[in-house]
Amino acid sequence: MKTNFFTRLLLWTGLGLLLVWSLGPIYWTLASSVTPTEDFSTRPIHFYPQHFTFDHYARVLGISISRIGGVEVWKQFRAALFNSVVTSVAATVLCVAISALGAYAFTRLRFPGRQMLFGLVVATLAIPAYAVLIPLYQIMIKMHLVDTYVGVALIYVSAYLPLSLWLLRSVFEALPVSLEEAAQLDGAGRLFIFFNIVLPLAGPGLAAAGILTFLGAWGQYLVPLIFSPQVTKPLTVLIPEFVTKNFIDYGLITASGSIAIIIPALVVIFLNRYLVSGLLAGSVK
Amino acid sequence: MTAVANGRQSSARGVGFGADTILGILLVSPILLTMTALVFYPMGRTIWDSLHRVNPMQAGTPFVGLDNYVRMFSDGQLGATWTNTLIYVVLAVAAETIFGVLAAALINQVKIGRRWILAAVILPWALPGVVNSVIWLWIYQPGAGLLNGILSAIGLPFENHVWFNDRASAIVAVTVVHVWRMMPLTIVIVLAAMQSIPSHLYEAARIDGATRGQMFGLITLPLVRSAIAVSMTNATVNAFNLFDEAWVLAGSSLETRPILVQIYLETFQNLRFSYGMALSVSITFVSLLVSLVYVLRVYRNTRFD
Repeated sequence: MKTNFFTRLLLWTGLGLLLVWSLGPIYWTLASSVTPTEDFSTRPIHFYPQHFTFDHYARVLGISISRIGGVEVWKQFRAALFNSVVTSVAATVLCVAISALGAYAFTRLRFPGRQMLFGLVVATLAIPAYAVLIPLYQIMIKMHLVDTYVGVALIYVSAYLPLSLWLLRSVFEALPVSLEEAAQLDGAGRLFIFFNIVLPLAGPGLAAAGILTFLGAWGQYLVPLIFSPQVTKPLTVLIPEFVTKNFIDYGLITASGSIAIIIPALVVIFLNRYLVSGLLAGSVK
Repeated sequence: MTAVANGRQSSARGVGFGADTILGILLVSPILLTMTALVFYPMGRTIWDSLHRVNPMQAGTPFVGLDNYVRMFSDGQLGATWTNTLIYVVLAVAAETIFGVLAAALINQVKIGRRWILAAVILPWALPGVVNSVIWLWIYQPGAGLLNGILSAIGLPFENHVWFNDRASAIVAVTVVHVWRMMPLTIVIVLAAMQSIPSHLYEAARIDGATRGQMFGLITLPLVRSAIAVSMTNATVNAFNLFDEAWVLAGSSLETRPILVQIYLETFQNLRFSYGMALSVSITFVSLLVSLVYVLRVYRNTRFD
């Protein structure tokens, strides 16, 4: 298409604005996280760090703490980072495993109540989490699962299972059935076929389901605020606690925020293709 | 039953009808168990308990009929939070749709490096909502914040402006953070629809001498309309679910408090469990209803065209 100079200028200006809007706040977080606390009070503000320091990271991670002193947050922070990783990974693995097995049954096997169960599970996509939150809290208290990894991970699984199931069923449906039939003729059992033929072919679909579950679990706030108040507190609950009424330690917040966004950022950069396909499959529900 | 079994290929290796049925039930049982215990039962419980008085501070759970629902109409705080939520929904859906479609159209024009631009654009969506909110809390900060820094750098008197001092700017500030996080969804959905438009349509239009603006208005927009409806439904549901941004940026301030924060406060601070459940039921209902309106409108529009 013939493009004149003016259209091209408009296009690149628009793209520039879009990138600044999307990445600007992230840049500002990273820049602030390496700025010494004294520099936060200079006016007018500088748009890039004048001095460079890793002190804020040292404070949240507990590296050479004797040199810095001040508020001791690193123990809490390390625990929260660990908790975030454990609950998100556990929820992702469990959710993808359960939904892969189920999705295969829903596509290839016939059993009573098949359509109804699938419909019911997928229909819960339209139900917001808070519609079940309060009874869930009562159940978890009764079963002594509040503030445990098992309790939180199970809630994440139940929250992301419908999407993952929906996604994986459409992936399995798109696989050619002839391959499986050939294997059946050779005498292979259902489970053998599932693990050795279907799963390897469904790799991208499994990746998409896993990414969506992981990002969702990693970013959860309301659920852990209620269900992991102390011992299993994740990063998302800890970081806002650094914001207190009287004093906000922006170095601490931006450094801990930067650490919390590293993993999702890596996922988006390297697994973008799977993420987009998952988002599209999930949105057309 | 036997006819079906004979019709299918059954063998001793466990591929037959009976074996398939048992295996099928076995494979979905984890789903059935998880969903029943953690979703279906609690959902029924929410509706059931919303008709009772459930409060950990008071003994017994007497049946109160629709009392919890009737109480909503005389709850002044609730009215304010409903208004806030509706303002969030309108502002967020409008901004995400208008700017999201524009952004998708821009990215659609790019030939090289589109993958990287898309990754950059999706990034805000992938980050934890609370982390986004603390990032923006820092940007909105009166003294050393980035926003006031930019505004004073271009000569405006905003150096110590407090954005959360009046309701209008506070609500807009919360909405901006929400839009920053949710617009990528709209962009991804609409962009995918734009890429599936066959290029010969544009070639034909070019031969007929159409301008870029005409092509966008007469080819692109009509063909991505159902994608826009899907993204608007998502945007609506997400805006109804707004919690993290308001909670981190403005705490329990009534001026910006959305309905979800109200539910959280009523339930876990005032311990009015059943009232919280009645609120949950009603907002679920409203958000489903609003989404349904979009879907129906789009279907009718496409049919009449």
